[in-house]
Amino acid sequence: MAASSGKKKIVVIGSGPIRIGQGIEFDYCSVHCVWALREAGYEALIINNNPETVSTDFDTSDRLYFEPLTTEDVLNVIEAEQPEGVIVQFGGQTAINLARPLHDAGIRIFGSSCESIDLAEDRDRFERVLRDLGIPKPAGRAVTSLRAAEEVAEEIGYPVLVRPSYVLGGRAMEIIFAPDELRSYMQYVVEVSPKAPILVDKYVLGREVEVDVISDGEDCLLPGIMEHIERAGVHSGDSMAVYPPQTLNRDIIDQIVDTATALARRLEVRGLMNIQYVVEGNAGEKHGSQGLHGGSAQVIEVNPRASRTVPYLSKITGIPMVKVATHVMVGRTLKEQGYKGGLHPSAPLIAVKAPVFSFPKLVGVDIALGPEMKSTGEIMGLETDYNRALYKAMIASGVDVPTTGTLLATIADHDKAEAVDIIRQFSEIGYSIYGTQGTATYLAARGIAAKVVHKIHDQTPNLLDLVRSGKVDLLINTLSPDKRTEREALQIRRASVEVGVPCLTSLDTARALLLALSARKQGRDFACDTVDGYLAPAAG
Amino acid sequence: MPRDPSIKRVLVIGSGPIIIGQAAEFDYAGTQACRSLREEGVEVILINSNPATIMTDLEMADRVYIEPLNVEFAARIIERERPDGLLATLGGQTGLNLATQLADAGVLERFNVRLLGTPLASIQMAEDREEFRSLMRRIGEPVPESWIVEDTDALAESGTHGVWPLIVRPAYTLGGTGGGIAHNMEQLMEIGSRGLKLSMRGQVMIERCLLGWKEIEYEVMRDANDTCITVCNMENFDPMGVHTGDSIVVAPSQTLSDKEYQMLRTASLNIIRSLGIEGGCNVQLALSPDSFDYFVIEVNPRVSRSSALASKATGYPIARVAAKIAVGLYLDEIQNAVTQKTLACFEPTLDYCVVKIPRWPFDKFTLADRRITTQMKATGEVMAIDRSFEPALMKAIRSLEIGAYGLSGKHVNALSDVQLEERISVATDERLFAIAEAFRRGMMVEEVQALSAIDPWFLHRVRNLVAMETRLRVHGRAIAALADTLDPTAAEVAILREAKRMGFADKQIGECIGLAESLVRDLRRAFGIVATFKMVDTCAAEFEAATPYYYSCYDEETETIA
Repeated sequence: MAASSGKKKIVVIGSGPIRIGQGIEFDYCSVHCVWALREAGYEALIINNNPETVSTDFDTSDRLYFEPLTTEDVLNVIEAEQPEGVIVQFGGQTAINLARPLHDAGIRIFGSSCESIDLAEDRDRFERVLRDLGIPKPAGRAVTSLRAAEEVAEEIGYPVLVRPSYVLGGRAMEIIFAPDELRSYMQYVVEVSPKAPILVDKYVLGREVEVDVISDGEDCLLPGIMEHIERAGVHSGDSMAVYPPQTLNRDIIDQIVDTATALARRLEVRGLMNIQYVVEGNAGEKHGSQGLHGGSAQVIEVNPRASRTVPYLSKITGIPMVKVATHVMVGRTLKEQGYKGGLHPSAPLIAVKAPVFSFPKLVGVDIALGPEMKSTGEIMGLETDYNRALYKAMIASGVDVPTTGTLLATIADHDKAEAVDIIRQFSEIGYSIYGTQGTATYLAARGIAAKVVHKIHDQTPNLLDLVRSGKVDLLINTLSPDKRTEREALQIRRASVEVGVPCLTSLDTARALLLALSARKQGRDFACDTVDGYLAPAAG
Repeated sequence: MPRDPSIKRVLVIGSGPIIIGQAAEFDYAGTQACRSLREEGVEVILINSNPATIMTDLEMADRVYIEPLNVEFAARIIERERPDGLLATLGGQTGLNLATQLADAGVLERFNVRLLGTPLASIQMAEDREEFRSLMRRIGEPVPESWIVEDTDALAESGTHGVWPLIVRPAYTLGGTGGGIAHNMEQLMEIGSRGLKLSMRGQVMIERCLLGWKEIEYEVMRDANDTCITVCNMENFDPMGVHTGDSIVVAPSQTLSDKEYQMLRTASLNIIRSLGIEGGCNVQLALSPDSFDYFVIEVNPRVSRSSALASKATGYPIARVAAKIAVGLYLDEIQNAVTQKTLACFEPTLDYCVVKIPRWPFDKFTLADRRITTQMKATGEVMAIDRSFEPALMKAIRSLEIGAYGLSGKHVNALSDVQLEERISVATDERLFAIAEAFRRGMMVEEVQALSAIDPWFLHRVRNLVAMETRLRVHGRAIAALADTLDPTAAEVAILREAKRMGFADKQIGECIGLAESLVRDLRRAFGIVATFKMVDTCAAEFEAATPYYYSCYDEETETIA
C-alpha cells in the first residue's frame, strides 16, 4: 500500500448517507475523531461513501477510502492497510453495527469493546445490568408473541410504548392505549418472532432528559445535561431540548450523574455513551414541593456511541467531546487530559435545540410528532435567558409567527383541560382564536372567546378553507384517538404545510412558543455574539 | 491578478439546518471555503444556525456566530464585525437569499460590504426565469418554449406554435396535482382547463415536454479574467422528469458522442461567460436521445449538491477554488491541492467511473408517495467509484444500507408482470430493482427502454449484471465445489473473478451459489482474487498526487504513492 510514514494507523468508520435518524452530526464526529488521532500522532484513515461531507474531503484524513460500509468492503481496506484497529463510535449505527463482524475477524476495536456494545444493545442483558445496579427503568419486557404482549400490557397497565428491538430512529415505535390497538400493531405493523422480539414498556408520562458521557473506565465526565421540552413520547430527535436543564431539581440531577457513572463503569465504556432518561410526572419540577426525593430518573435507552447531541454539547460547553473521547480510546485518561469525573459546571448561556422538518417535500407524510423520528435537521438558539433562547430556536427552525395574529385550535378531548390555559394566554397577547364547535364551546365555557369554524365534512367554509385562505398564522392540533377525527386532522395538518403555516401538535411546544413570543414582545435587544462570547461573557 | 489586498475580513453565510435539498454538501463547501480564505490571510467571520457542522468550529473560522439566519441577526453581525466582503455562494439557496435580502435592505451598502465572487446581478439573472430566458436567447442558447396562461384563450394560443408534446403544470396547487402531458390541441384544452380550475391562482404553466430526453450536467468554473474550465460533466441515469437530486447520476457521462460532449461543453462555457459568474456554477441541459437538439434547463450560480459530487468524483475542490476566485485570484494562480504541481486551470481527467445513488426516506415514511418527479425527496446520497459502471453501481447499492447487496431483493420478485411494468414506467426509489427483475424475467432492453426512456447503454449494463447473477446460479454447485478442489485451472475460477470485477459482494455471490459469505471470501482469496486499490488524482496519473484518495476494484495492480 501507501508509503509508510512510520506512524501507527487507525481506521475511522464513517456514517454513510444522510438519512432520517443519522444526519450530519455523525460526520462532524468522524472528522473530529480523525483530527484527534492525527494530533495524537497516529495516521488516521477514513472509510465512507457520502460525497456531500467534510469527512470525504481529500485532505481531512491521511488517506480516504471511498467504499461501502459493509464488512467485506471494510475488511478489504483493513487487509491492505494493516492498521492497529478501527474506531466505530462516531459513525452512528452504521459504524457500531460493524463492531461485531470486525471483532470476529480479529480486528481490534478501539474504545468500548464489542462485548460492552453488545451488553448495552442487548435488551435482556442490559435489563439485568440495570437490576444489578439498582437503576430504575419503566416496567416492561421483550416479547415474542401477541399473547405475551397482551399479558405484559395487562400486567403493567396501559398506555404502553411498543417497538421492535434493535431499531434506529424509533422506527415503528408507537404509544398504545388499548388492547385492540395492541393487537392491530402486532398484526399489521411489525413482524414478531423469537428472532425479532418486540419491546413492551410502560409509557411514562414525564420529562425526557439525555446525557452524553465520556468515560475512561475509571472516571466518567458528563459535559452537560439536555432536557427535552416536549414530554416523553416524542422522539428525542424531534423534540426541542434545552441546556442546561430548566426544571430538574438537585436530587434528580444527582441521580443522573450517579447512574450514568455507574453504568459507564459497569459497561466498561471507553469513549462516549449516550443515556436517555424519563423523569416521571411533575416530580422533576425545580420549584415543586417534592423535597429531596422528588421522583426518579428512569433509564429508557443507552447508545454505546456518540449521539446526535454531541456536536451541540461540545459547542455549548466548550469541551471538545470527540477529541477527549478519542484520546481516551488511544490510552489517555480523563485525568491526564485535565478533566474530572462528574457533571461539568454549567456554561453561562442557555442553548435551545430545535428540529427542522422537510414536510413540504414529502407529500402524504403526517407531520404530527410522535415516537417515530421525522425531522431531517436541527438548529440551535443561543442566549442568556431561556425565553429568548426559545425565540431564537423557533425562528431559526422556521416557526416564525407574529406576536399577535390568528390561532386555529383543534384540540382532542383528553387534551382540552390542559390546552385551556395555553389558548387563554394566546388570547391575552392578542391572538384571535378559531376552533371547531367542540373546542370553541369548551373554551367559551371557560371565558375564552373563540370563533366557530365548521368541520371538513360539514358545510363550507370549513377548517380546510380557513387554513388555505391564509388568514391563520398558527395551528395547534393535538392527536385524537378517534379515527374519523384523525382523518380530518391529517388533512388540516397537510394543508398547513402547503400554505407554510406552523402547526404544533404538542402542547409543550405551544407553551414554549408563548414564552418565546413573550421574549419578542419585551422589545429588549436579543444578544448577538460569537460562541466564544457566550461562553466567556466577562471577556466580551 | 494577485489576491485583492483590500479584502481583510470576510463574512461567510452557512446554509442552516439540513433539509431535503440542502444537506451536508454546504458544510463541506463552507469548510473548504473558510480554510481556503484563511490560507490567503483573510479573517473569516461565520454565521450559521446549525452547530452540527464543521464550518462552525473555532478551528475553521476566526469568529463563529451560531445565530438565526435572517436579516435582523446578520445585519447586527455585520454592524459589529464590519467585514470587507460577503461570500454568499457557499450557503446554498439559504445563503444566497439572505445575501439578496441584505442587499435589498441596504445593509451591505450602509456598512460598505462588498459581495464577493459572482455579482448579485448575475445571480439574479440566473435565478429569474424571464431574465435568464432572454439572456439565453441573446447568446443563441436554446431554452424550452414555455407560456404562463391564465385563461382558455391564452391556453389555445399556446398550442399554435407547433411544439408538441406540452407539459401542463397548474401553479400553486396543493400537492402539485392536476398536471399532465398534452400531445394535441384537444388534450391541451382538456388538461389545461382543469388545471386553471385547480390552481389557487388560476394560473397554468405550459412548457415543451422534454420527458425522456437525456439530462446532462456540467460543472464549470470562471474567474474574473474570463478564464473558464469544466470540472466534469455528469449524466443522469434517469431521463428528464426526475429531479437530479433524486436521480442516479454517473460521472463522467457515458452515452455521449464526442460531438455531443463538446457541443454541451461549449454551451456551458458560453453560459457561464454570459452570466459573468466568478466562481463555480452548475449547468443543466437536456439532450435529445435521437438528434443533436438540446435545451438549457437551469443554472445554479453557486456551489451545490452537484458541485460537491463533482468535487468528490474528480478530486477538484470546487469550493476551495471558488473562494480563492472570490478574493481576486485567477485560475492560473491557484494550485491544485491534490497534485500540488498542476494549477486550477487544468481540467480534471477521470480514468474510472463514478455512480451516485440518492438515499430516500421511504423506509421511515412508509405511507409517503414514493414517486420521484421534479420535487426532490432524497435526504442524502452515496457515491461509489470503480473501473466501470457495473461495479460502481453495485458498490453504490450496498452503500445505501437498505438491505440490498445487489440488484435482487426489495420485494420486486413478488410483483406481477403488469405491476412490474408499472414500476418501470413510473419512477420510484425501486425502479432500478424493477428493471433488474424485468431482465430476470426475460424482458428485452428495447421493451424496458420503451417503458422507462432510460438510455439502452445503461440498460445493457444492468442486464449484464443480471446475466452474471444467472451464471453464478447456474454454475453455483461447481463454483462452491472449488472450495474442495482448489483447482486454479477450473473454468469456474474465471466466473468468480469476473463476478468480483463486476462488483458482486461476497454475500450476494454466496446467496447465488449457496455458500456463507465468509466461505466465499476464503474461496476467492485462495485463488488470489483480492481487492486492489486505485487512486483518485484528478489527472489520470499524469502527475503524482500528494493527497491520497483511493477506491477499490478487482483490477491487476494497486497504485501506490511515492
